[in-house]
Amino acid sequence: MTEVEIQEKYIPKWAVSKVHGNCFVFDITPEQLVDVCSELFHVHQLPIKTVFASQGDIKSGEYYIHYVFGVPVENFYIIPRLLIIGTTEFPSLANSVYPASLYEGGIREMFGLEPIGRPSEAQPVLLHENWPAEIFPMRKDFMDIPLMNGHSKSMEYHFSKVDGEGIYEVPVGPVHAGIIEPGHFRFSMAGERIVRLEAKLGWMHKGSEKMFEKLSPSDGVRLAEHIAGDSSFAHSTAFCQAVEGLGGTIVSDRAQYARVIFGELERLAGHSSDLGFILSDTGFNFGLAQCGRLREQIMQACEKLTGHRFLRGVNIFGGVYVHLRKGEIEELLQLLHGWKKEFEEIIKIADDNSMVFNRLSGAGILAHQVAIDHCAVGVPARASGVIVDSRIDFPYAAYGKLHHEVSVEYGGDVLARFNVRKREVLTSLALINEALQAMPDGEPVSPREMTLRKNSYAVGISEGWRGEIVYVVVTDENGNISRVSLRDPSFLGWHLIPHAAPGNVLLDFPLINKSFNLSYSGNDK
Amino acid sequence: MNFAVIIIQVLFVPLVAPLIIGVTRRIKAAMQNRRGADIFQPYRDLIKLFRKAEVLSEDATTISLVSPYVVFASMITIGALIPIVPFAGNILSSYADFIVVISLMILATFFLALNGLDAGNAFGGLGSSREMTLAALTEAGLFFSFMSIALLVQSTNLITLSIHIGTLPSSDWLILSLAFLAFFIALLAENARYPFDNPSTHLELTMVHEAMIIEASGPRLALFEWAAASKLLIFIVLGANIFIPWGIIISGWQSLSLAILVLLCKVFVLTVAVAMLESMTAKLRFFRLPDLLSTSFMLGLIALALAIF
Repeated sequence: MTEVEIQEKYIPKWAVSKVHGNCFVFDITPEQLVDVCSELFHVHQLPIKTVFASQGDIKSGEYYIHYVFGVPVENFYIIPRLLIIGTTEFPSLANSVYPASLYEGGIREMFGLEPIGRPSEAQPVLLHENWPAEIFPMRKDFMDIPLMNGHSKSMEYHFSKVDGEGIYEVPVGPVHAGIIEPGHFRFSMAGERIVRLEAKLGWMHKGSEKMFEKLSPSDGVRLAEHIAGDSSFAHSTAFCQAVEGLGGTIVSDRAQYARVIFGELERLAGHSSDLGFILSDTGFNFGLAQCGRLREQIMQACEKLTGHRFLRGVNIFGGVYVHLRKGEIEELLQLLHGWKKEFEEIIKIADDNSMVFNRLSGAGILAHQVAIDHCAVGVPARASGVIVDSRIDFPYAAYGKLHHEVSVEYGGDVLARFNVRKREVLTSLALINEALQAMPDGEPVSPREMTLRKNSYAVGISEGWRGEIVYVVVTDENGNISRVSLRDPSFLGWHLIPHAAPGNVLLDFPLINKSFNLSYSGNDK
Repeated sequence: MNFAVIIIQVLFVPLVAPLIIGVTRRIKAAMQNRRGADIFQPYRDLIKLFRKAEVLSEDATTISLVSPYVVFASMITIGALIPIVPFAGNILSSYADFIVVISLMILATFFLALNGLDAGNAFGGLGSSREMTLAALTEAGLFFSFMSIALLVQSTNLITLSIHIGTLPSSDWLILSLAFLAFFIALLAENARYPFDNPSTHLELTMVHEAMIIEASGPRLALFEWAAASKLLIFIVLGANIFIPWGIIISGWQSLSLAILVLLCKVFVLTVAVAMLESMTAKLRFFRLPDLLSTSFMLGLIALALAIF
């Protein structure tokens, strides 16, 4: 589709849209908000990628709220922009476009803007209740406010109560046994059965989005790598793509392929570890030991190729820092050949074990409709029969030139998520093979002189092993980065688990949770 | 001779029990291509725990203070009664009734469950509730498996049972093996082994036995751990000397040492069996466990019926 066609199809006639690379931004008034967004979401069926706010002129109290819709396959983004002046209230979109509700909650906590008419209860989504009142971490003046003791708590947190005879509550966390991040789970139980689960997060807010505004773009890449530490490469890829879009940087062909290779290596590591932990939570320790070993092989290969186990310091605007020499490519091909054999053998042993199957099958079912209603992404969505994969929907790097398809399962249970991972591992291996062979010669990184477009927007999307990662980068009138909005797939995923848990026995919850394996850090950012 | 037997009876279980745990872990590690810890590691862990300071919940009552001792004392008493070296002359043997042994086990389970509830920890309560659900279903299979053999030998005394088991005609071996299967399932359930419980999990939500002692620390935790190890060894010894009728007749010093050697071999075989089972299976769903326990119950019942008719 050409720009004109996009404009005619998706953007209202009255609107004046400005094209920023692949983003179509147009202003709307609060009255138009619901109509415009409902049309994009319900009539054109465009997935909502993120909703984020940014601060305009501080003196006149300007805030912008951006609703980012993606046009699959075409790789365009339609961004209606709502301007609010002199008030801290804006109309909620959640009643007509439900997935907006979560983002609106985040905007309320980060900017102190109140979504009027938002149906969800007043529970915080990104901060915890001890965060000081009237201090909003994403406002421009945040850094000038001294943070000290004595601030009043911003809210009281009340867990929703389930009434009924014999209902009791089990609190878990935020400190857990084992080395994992903090999160609190409140189960309302009837005997062994979970009646309701409430997940309370926000202990890990590190002010990452704010920090992006203070860092130079190239330091921003290093920060992006630390948003969700085990998904470093996918995060840096998404951020680099957004900034490259702003700078009009051309990524060399070789780097396009290299990004596929490293992205898929990261997926291999993530998925093989997840498969092992799912097996381990059924008590099948063989799986953990073997899959842990397989993951380690990938990590060591990554270190050998790039100098970093988690592939940090690899991505840079315009390409990657790693050359991938002929000998290295052959070595990697050979390693993966043996790896695949072992993987298939181990998975076969797990598949043949009827007790493992019995534990996985039917546990933690995420209904197809729930996944659709929440605009779910990544493994949980695909396991519930939603065909989404940004490698195909929003092809980036060299994914458009390679052969692969979405791995979909329809069960929605732990088994389905297990199988999606299993199949994606095989897809990744095929992709790496193809990319290694098709990778053209040339420099892995283009010359890096780069000035960013002024007052502009760019969206970068990549498919991490957890799911789709979205970065939106905004520049000011000097061409400096003034706002970075990021969305880790975990942000959506954490709101799916409470729908998958009820009806299961509490003993199965760790297994269900592991089958989602979400990042706390990525959610709290 | 009599004195030596009593010494062995009293000390064998507490001294050897941690080794059984160490061996189980080592075999499991080997089955997963890991090296695993030294087989003497559980001893070091116990010593470490005994030296540590203790943290007690503010809500804990006397129950938390007393129950580790009750649980451990029950296991030591049972250890002295069971036929480790079946020698009818020893003075302990007249108390070695299997109904006494099972009752002492239930006493220990009862105090464990109370301990789980005592501090008001949500996981402890869950563990106790799960344990009682399982225990109620396990006892029946355990009782019937012993009862069927008691009927064959016409005695409920464990020492008498184990001495006479070798003299049973081979036509009774069917009953013996059915009873053994029922017993083995009960062994796994009573000792929080697979597929009932994962003894090495860190996931509080899935625990049964570990959840009940989750509030314990220091020496009291050591006693619980030691008691749990002893319980496993007690069950294994019972399995070895009641259901596997070889090498248990004791008449003099020479046969005593031979009997101990044979016992150790049988214990090792059963330990390997438990460890192998744990390496090759997964945990069952909680609500599938009653099916397995009723299998144990039915096997025990069939053995009993065969023994009567």
